[in-house]
Amino acid sequence: MKLLELSEVSAAYGAVQALRGLDLVVGEGEIVTLLGANGAGKSTTLRSISGLLTPNAGEIRFAGQVISGLHPEKVVRLGIAHVPEGRRVFPGLSVRENIMLGASNRRIARAEMARDTAEMFALFPDIARFADTLGWMLSGGQQQMVALARGLMARPRLLLLDEPSLGLAPLIVQQVFRIIARIRETGTTVLLVEQNARIALSVADRGYVLETGRLVVSGKPDALWNNEEVRAAYLGGKRLSEEQKPA
Amino acid sequence: MAIILQLLFTGLGIGAVYALVALGFVLIYRATNVVNFAQGQFAMLGGYCMVITTVDLGLPYWLGILITLVVMAGFGAIFNLGVYYPLRHRSFLPVVISTIGASILITNLVLGLYGPEPTTLPGVIDFPGVSLGAVFLDSQYLVIIAVTLILVLLQYFFFEHTLVGKKMQAVSQDKEVASLLGINVTGMIMLTFAYSAVLGGIAGVLVAPILFVSVGLGAQIALKAFAASIIGGFGDVPGAIAGGLIIGVAETLGAFYISVPYKDAFAFILLFAFLLIRPQGIFGEKVSQKA
Ligand SMILES: Nc1ncnc2c1ncn2[C@@H]1O[C@H](COP(=O)(O)OP(=O)(O)O)[C@@H](O)[C@H]1O
Ligand SMILES: [Mg+2]
Repeated sequence: MKLLELSEVSAAYGAVQALRGLDLVVGEGEIVTLLGANGAGKSTTLRSISGLLTPNAGEIRFAGQVISGLHPEKVVRLGIAHVPEGRRVFPGLSVRENIMLGASNRRIARAEMARDTAEMFALFPDIARFADTLGWMLSGGQQQMVALARGLMARPRLLLLDEPSLGLAPLIVQQVFRIIARIRETGTTVLLVEQNARIALSVADRGYVLETGRLVVSGKPDALWNNEEVRAAYLGGKRLSEEQKPA
Repeated sequence: MAIILQLLFTGLGIGAVYALVALGFVLIYRATNVVNFAQGQFAMLGGYCMVITTVDLGLPYWLGILITLVVMAGFGAIFNLGVYYPLRHRSFLPVVISTIGASILITNLVLGLYGPEPTTLPGVIDFPGVSLGAVFLDSQYLVIIAVTLILVLLQYFFFEHTLVGKKMQAVSQDKEVASLLGINVTGMIMLTFAYSAVLGGIAGVLVAPILFVSVGLGAQIALKAFAASIIGGFGDVPGAIAGGLIIGVAETLGAFYISVPYKDAFAFILLFAFLLIRPQGIFGEKVSQKA
């Protein structure tokens, strides 16, 4: 079943046209990855879905309902959580407060919020002991965990992740991606934006490759990985050997 | 010795008023990144609201205060809608100019309705004060210090221990992410303006019995409060309180020991000294980096 569908979506920042008629589908329960070089329009795609940006053409549907042009506060109430590029943890709030506020889209009592927050600390044990630490004091990896936990607090049907591996040490990246794989097991659909194609394709069911706001190619991870042209141009070059092929 | 204690008491009292208005500056600045130059006019409106309800209409003092609080909250919300909201996506300067325009408009509306004659407001307590040895504690100054203390504690509790307070902090730190989480950003900013207007209004109610209620009241307090928030470190809540108290004490001591006619200059001498020696203020970052 189609959970998310973008039809010929175009979006611009002033005179800069960042998306040019993008078509994209995410099925319920899938992990779909959106790849492409810096400036290809990946973040713009997520921003258009979550309502931070209003597309100037095309239509975005979520669970059958048109959501393009809706305000972010409405979109997240419909069940789409967006974990933005750069993590953007609230610097002056504690880890616990950051995570709790992730539930602002749901009308729940404070006790339930505290219970769900405790659940997140169980899912991310590495940040549990920093519960009362302020956001700005955390390392990049810890901030990414907080951002993920905050996103999950919305209990989303669709989770938008923008470059969760950005700036993290390889070991931490693996940890983050194990969690992403686990998130899908709980039934949450994931649209994952990455520059690190190898690791993204290792967890994804399907992938799309963008270039200057247009779709270049899409398909199964294996097919994308073996497409020489795609690898050369967008997935980090031919240097990658066969052994590094995603599992 | 007694005279110094006496001056300290008076200085802290007037400083508390500056601190309340400075807090309003800081809260709005943190929520919107804009300096609201009409913050002093909020204090003037609070003073006039009290004069109209308790002196002109003869209502009881407590009812006057209640009406003033409600009127100020409503006024803050309207101010937000008319002065900030339409320009919220613009840069710093258009919004600041809009607040300056609003401040001129408010001043002239009051001038048109009430004329240039200053009026007086009696104090909340009908009793002059208490003597503590050689120091006389004027009742209105005691009220000012007590009310300010209570407000600061309430505000601390609100921002640190309530969910709405946390949401307001989130909005002031990252509006985009706050909206992604489903926080009502527009509503939180509205609340910030309403609360800042109430703070300003209370400052006006408190100071009215000491100073005269006049159209110039707003500018007089706002300039000192603005200096206070820079001395404290612009955008810093404890800094605004400390800055207000420091200016209150400094100008009271300066007036007594140096020169009465130059009383109003001491705040600015202090401000210049801080800008030269410690431009980031007591607690804050450098102003140049913030603006
Ligand atoms: N805030 C902005 N203002 C102007 N142009 C922008 C802005 N954000 C992104 N762009 C431009 O839009 C295009 C797509 O950017 P983006 O979606 O961030 O790419 P990606 O996430 O794939 O790196 C780029 O050309 C970029 O320069
Ligand atoms: Mg990006």
